[in-house]
Amino acid sequence: MVDKRTVKNVTNIIEGLGVNPSSESVSILEDIGTNSKVDAIREMTSRALVKRNEHDSLSVVITNKGKGINDMSTVVAMSTINELLSLQDKTEAMKILEDTVEMHSDEEVRDNARSVKALMALS
Amino acid sequence: MANLSIPAIRERLFNTSRHEQTTQRSTNPFAASTFKGNVLTADVFESSTKQSQPIFTGKLKASALVGSISGIGERFQNIINSVVQFGTKIKENVVNGWNKLEGIEISFNPLKERMTSAYNSVKEVMSTSISDLMTTGISAKSVAKMEDMTAARKLLEDNVAIWEAA
Repeated sequence: MVDKRTVKNVTNIIEGLGVNPSSESVSILEDIGTNSKVDAIREMTSRALVKRNEHDSLSVVITNKGKGINDMSTVVAMSTINELLSLQDKTEAMKILEDTVEMHSDEEVRDNARSVKALMALS
Repeated sequence: MANLSIPAIRERLFNTSRHEQTTQRSTNPFAASTFKGNVLTADVFESSTKQSQPIFTGKLKASALVGSISGIGERFQNIINSVVQFGTKIKENVVNGWNKLEGIEISFNPLKERMTSAYNSVKEVMSTSISDLMTTGISAKSVAKMEDMTAARKLLEDNVAIWEAA
């Protein structure tokens, strides 16, 4: 059982990296956070990347198989979609989703992107 | 009042017929019928207009009022005195209790030691938790301002590893 202090530290680090102006923070979150075996860490990382609302950060959670909206965990995927729907400015996210639907090589990723795009268009 | 002179009495005793007229002027309603006005000629009945209750004068009323007021004041004074006495008693009890507590605290050393130990342990726990928060706690604000991204990566790696190992 993980102690509260560790949970708090990881949460704060991910949250801090999510708003850190350095572009390298996205790669740190992608490399460590989205590849973690702990669902909660992946969920927190995906949400932080969506909140950042940048092309690179949104691409990580939309176009990569097994990450963000394509995560194996339903909780992580749904949490990422919910965060995308909560965005005030959805322009960049919609653009990436359109590109993914049209050009991504993996059919499953294309289908997921199409579904999320439809949800975002309705919201 | 009837005329009670000796000739008049004699007249009333032996010449009753003449006296009937005078007896009828009496307010006694039984004078004519029962006693025929011969014996009871005086008005022995109390007048209906006579007042049974004595009329108090202003001075009497005022004195009664003053007496009642002074009585209330006395009672009020008694109440105040009792309240003051009560307060004084409470105060004395509190002071006595405090003195007793002080005596116990001084004389009962094991309890004093235990209390001191408990206080120190609480203080230790409090200081530990606060110092932990101050020294090892990582705030999101500090990470957001980090410029050394290698250190940031290491920080996240270490903490994720701790979580995954748990």
